[in-house]
Amino acid sequence: MTFLDRRGLLTGAGALLGAELVAPLARALAAEAAPGFTASHVALSVDQRILVAAISERIMPTTDTPGAIAAGVPEFIEMMLADWYEPTDHQEFMNGLGVFQGSSRIQFGKPFAEIAPEEQDLLLTQAMTGKISGLSGNFFEHCRQLVVMGYYTSEIGCKQERVYVPVPGRYDGKYPYAEVRRVFSS
Amino acid sequence: MATYEFDAIVIGSGISGGWAAKELCEKGMKVLMLERGRMVEHRKDYITEGKGPWQLPYRGSLPPAEVERDHAMSKWGGADNTASTHFFNNDRLNPIDYENSKPFRWVRPAQVGGKSLLWSRVALRWSEIDFGANKRDGHGSPWPITYDEVAPWYSYVEKYAGIAGQKEGLRQLPDGEYQKPHPMNVAEIWLKDRLEHAMPDRKVIHTRSANMTEDKPEQGRARCQDRNMCARGCSFGAYFSTQAVTLPAARKTNNLTLLSDQVVTNLEYDPKTKRITGVRAVDTGTMQAKVYTSRIVFLCASAMASNQILLNSRLPESDRSFADSSGMLGHYIMDHCFRTSFWGTVPDKELEPFIPYGRRPTGVYIPRFRNLDGQDRDADFVRGYGMQGGAGRTPLGPVGFGKAMKENMRGYGPWTARFTAFGECLPYKDNTISLNPSKLDRFGVPLVVFNVTFRENEQRMMRDAAIQGEAMMRAAGLTDVGSVNEEHVPGDAIHEMGGACMGADPRASVVNRWSQAHDAANLFITDGSAAASTSCANPSMTFMALTARAADHAIKLVKAGTI
Repeated sequence: MTFLDRRGLLTGAGALLGAELVAPLARALAAEAAPGFTASHVALSVDQRILVAAISERIMPTTDTPGAIAAGVPEFIEMMLADWYEPTDHQEFMNGLGVFQGSSRIQFGKPFAEIAPEEQDLLLTQAMTGKISGLSGNFFEHCRQLVVMGYYTSEIGCKQERVYVPVPGRYDGKYPYAEVRRVFSS
Repeated sequence: MATYEFDAIVIGSGISGGWAAKELCEKGMKVLMLERGRMVEHRKDYITEGKGPWQLPYRGSLPPAEVERDHAMSKWGGADNTASTHFFNNDRLNPIDYENSKPFRWVRPAQVGGKSLLWSRVALRWSEIDFGANKRDGHGSPWPITYDEVAPWYSYVEKYAGIAGQKEGLRQLPDGEYQKPHPMNVAEIWLKDRLEHAMPDRKVIHTRSANMTEDKPEQGRARCQDRNMCARGCSFGAYFSTQAVTLPAARKTNNLTLLSDQVVTNLEYDPKTKRITGVRAVDTGTMQAKVYTSRIVFLCASAMASNQILLNSRLPESDRSFADSSGMLGHYIMDHCFRTSFWGTVPDKELEPFIPYGRRPTGVYIPRFRNLDGQDRDADFVRGYGMQGGAGRTPLGPVGFGKAMKENMRGYGPWTARFTAFGECLPYKDNTISLNPSKLDRFGVPLVVFNVTFRENEQRMMRDAAIQGEAMMRAAGLTDVGSVNEEHVPGDAIHEMGGACMGADPRASVVNRWSQAHDAANLFITDGSAAASTSCANPSMTFMALTARAADHAIKLVKAGTI
């Protein structure tokens, strides 16, 4: 809606230009070394990185479209932790990872990434419903928000899971959903 | 006989400055345009245009620490979005006097084109009700001009800029020169039908938008492609900006010299001849100051920046501005109130099979309906508000996790409508902008101090907007109706105006009916600072029309040898 765009809230998830305007596209491809694309420093240990990848993929699994790992969600999360988060939020998330991993070891004797998919689902459900003692109540929501944001703003999320129309060329306010059965990425 | 480097100097390159440069250049004047921000060339410098979210730093969301450090005010205009951060002021390097100011959000751009690259492109006319308001209810300085005098100039700028809209025959929102409107979606048509039937004095119309729906090949511009990424710059030139519209026209004449990175600190003034004799600017790269001279000066630096320049242009041996013989300079600062919103859900199952295709950069508008014929009996405030909004469908959010969550997120929520009220702020003499001479910025200019508050009339008006908004949603048959009336902070609507108000009486106003300074015959102030009231309709078209009108008049005076 226009008043959202007015304050720039929508443009962060904007669309891609047509091939007839090549220069911006070329610049875009060159820009990925700049801040905000990959973590400027290591924010996760090797074990934590494996854990984040496993949580991400289980929340946003590979189905008929690629899942979180293929879409680069774990790398996105590490970038956010390294370069976007305030220190207190960062620490809260790291604490949550520790408690969550610990719960996997206690209940299943193995880290989260190594337990069976059903066990992973059980643990995530426990986290979601506040059943893991010592785990911050919003840890699951926090993980899910990062995964959802990282996935649907990724190239795979925008182009393969959602329908990407760089230059719509027109507005149709009565377009049949049945034509796409997906969401148009913005 | 004085000699000048230029026929005219235009200070500022935004919506007003661009029009001033175009009009003056096209009439054969040699024009120097000075812009405080950096150069941004059309197309070439739209560095985020066309990028997908994965190609934007932080996927579009500037880290909060950086936002607070550099964009504490400009975040309210969207500087926190990395798609557009580079078009906004660095509020740390270019501050106001925060300590002595009351809360005010001064959202400033940082480049050639100014806010013309960033505006919401709502292209409305002000009406006879608006131009007559101060006189009618006794607030502020009466406008010395009528709607009929401005109307031809609205037509002139609308035709050239390219405005999409529809004629409605409403007295409170006069019709203009329009290309075909951007279409409404099914839910907006549904809402329009039901609301206008249930409450015949309320209208839902196409927002009149400076996003074209038809090509203008003679200007090298194509119609809107419904990408909705306007605030990154548009290589199609589909919306009105300095870069797409007025700057190419001015350059085509070979009469324009454009210098970016020039902070104008003050105007030099000769009290004997009552003329501006020079424009002093500091180059932001070299930090060297230079005085430029011209026969006439157009001050279009943006409403608040123009005030700052005028306040810092002091009479010899005095701390008073040359432009303040009335004592009114810096008074009557205004902005629209716009933190009242309301919404509802369209319950009609017949609309469920449909979604929007394309990203329309505009929506629908509910024109003012309050206090049109004198005072409404049930209104505890004067003047009124309009409402901007639209209907859409939001993709479903995550529920649970895993395959089921992912598949569910392929669907959309119901059609919902949402509107925001834009309320007219009364002109209050003691709502001021001033300078703090003890605090200078890096260019030696005193920091501005804002002392601007919304009052009882604005609060009552916004409460009414929420009540009326909810009533309208319910009358139309929407469900889950709600509203919010958040804190209204002046500056927030980025429709800040006033301080150099127009009026017939030199003892009570700063510029005359031609936007010409009462105290300097060769100075024209044509941006929002000259507004004597705000209407409730978005002001940019009025700035364009009054600028073009003033340029026309200035050239007549120059040709007549008067100035």
